[in-house]
Amino acid sequence: MTSPQHTAPPPAPPAGVPAGSVLSVRALRKDFTLHTIDGRVVDALNGVDLDVAPGEHVALAGTSGAGKSTLLRCVYRTYLSGGGAIWFRTSGGHLVDVATLSDAEIVGLRGREFGYVSQFLRPQPRRSVLDIVSSAGVARGMAREAARDAAAAALRQVDIAERLWDMHATVLSGGQKQRVNIAAGTIAPPRLLLLDEPVSALDPANRAAVLDLIARLEETGTAVLSVFHDLDAIERLATRVVVLGRGRVVATGRPGDILRDPNLPLEVAR
Amino acid sequence: MSSTTVAPPRWALKAEGLGRIYGVQGPESLDGTGPDFGTAVSPATGAVVAAWDIGFEVEPGEALGIIGESGSGKSTVMRCIAGDETATAGRIALRGVGHGAVNIRELDPPARRKLRLDQIAVVYQDPAAGLNLDVTAGGNIADPLTAAGWRSYQRIRDRAADLLRRVEVPLSRMDDLARTFSGGMRQRVQIARALANEPPVLLLDEPTTGLDASVAAGVLDLLRTLLEETGVAAVVVSHDFGVIDMLTRRVVVMRHGRIVESGLTDQLLEDPQHPYSQQLVAAARG
Repeated sequence: MTSPQHTAPPPAPPAGVPAGSVLSVRALRKDFTLHTIDGRVVDALNGVDLDVAPGEHVALAGTSGAGKSTLLRCVYRTYLSGGGAIWFRTSGGHLVDVATLSDAEIVGLRGREFGYVSQFLRPQPRRSVLDIVSSAGVARGMAREAARDAAAAALRQVDIAERLWDMHATVLSGGQKQRVNIAAGTIAPPRLLLLDEPVSALDPANRAAVLDLIARLEETGTAVLSVFHDLDAIERLATRVVVLGRGRVVATGRPGDILRDPNLPLEVAR
Repeated sequence: MSSTTVAPPRWALKAEGLGRIYGVQGPESLDGTGPDFGTAVSPATGAVVAAWDIGFEVEPGEALGIIGESGSGKSTVMRCIAGDETATAGRIALRGVGHGAVNIRELDPPARRKLRLDQIAVVYQDPAAGLNLDVTAGGNIADPLTAAGWRSYQRIRDRAADLLRRVEVPLSRMDDLARTFSGGMRQRVQIARALANEPPVLLLDEPTTGLDASVAAGVLDLLRTLLEETGVAAVVVSHDFGVIDMLTRRVVVMRHGRIVESGLTDQLLEDPQHPYSQQLVAAARG
């Protein structure tokens, strides 16, 4: 295992990566070799290209199994990609390939620059709600005091009652956990926010509050890459929709156009 | 060391090509050992290759996990770094010793032991290995302080009280013999002792194995908080994914004395690459 000292910035931006993009995925591939099942290979992404600019919200659409969550996880490096590149422009202006950065460098990036909100929040055991949210702020460079204030504000915004703040997040309901997670993902807005079904467990009122919160991220310049189950959320939030099918991009365009195209393989019946 | 100034490395601890062979040293003992052969025992010489070609770096404020089943060599690696055993190959460097330019494996035994005062501390699975059970809790903590040159009785006592407070041991028990403490409390005292001289490197060998689940949970919480607050570089050796998941962000998987995979902890749990890691994760998930 090598983890090079933080070296010179990576080679000059590869051709075709837009100067302004925060995230540029190129020819990304991912398959899973299941050694416990006869070494079977399951392919998930077969060469995906996409760009996300600051303040842009790109929603991934497509039927179940199209590779949407896999793509998000490759970008966060929970999955190791099997080819291609994931160019990320840091707030310092360096272009780095998330697919090949050292583990130690990814740990740093995750703390400072990435937010990730998934449908399955697995909160760290025995950690208080306020602590989870304020730690995310501290990791992104806020002073501890300021982070606590910001965490309190964020929790109010997603309607988590103050009496829950010092409770362990593991005892919360699914919908409450999801809101804690979104508060942690959006406090001190990260440069890149990955959302995987962030409102799936929420009732209509809370869903609306969370969607409002996400909509406001556009002003902060956060680049968002999301997966939403429901097309209303996509229509409301996305500046662009990328439709995946069998691990490839099959269409891309404005939400209004894409969501009304009867020929595209979208998840939910229109 | 050369006369030119060496810039300190980012890491606090670095192991490179670390190896420990019991028996005949040399390449003839390596053939036919390792995960590909399913054994750490050399078919040619009978030597046990307990660890070979082990490498990693740990930065301040970071915890690295080493996971593997019993006999994988993970504790051997830890003991070699701690100096409890002598590695037979490779390089171990600490930022705190000559800015990382010294291979501490090659230091003579007294110099090596001295590192345990203020450079490397260990928390063992068995508190009896890290504590003198016939000495009071306060005395156990005072021990590394006096060894490091502390002289004022009152200052030592204040420091011991501070440390006990941090590990949440009631001060009323400071003058009780360690032997009279429960397993979880002994572990807390061991942790306090390990932190006494604020070592930049902390090695944790199965720190909660053998404790009741609820007691283990409390010790894990404490360790997590301490790791976050102290900025220490930690190596956590465990066979338990729960412990690794809670305390570390990066992990190496060992089997038959070799590293078979290294990665981010969540990546290892969600997308393990090596056949053995996949088995290990599948077994942990049940």
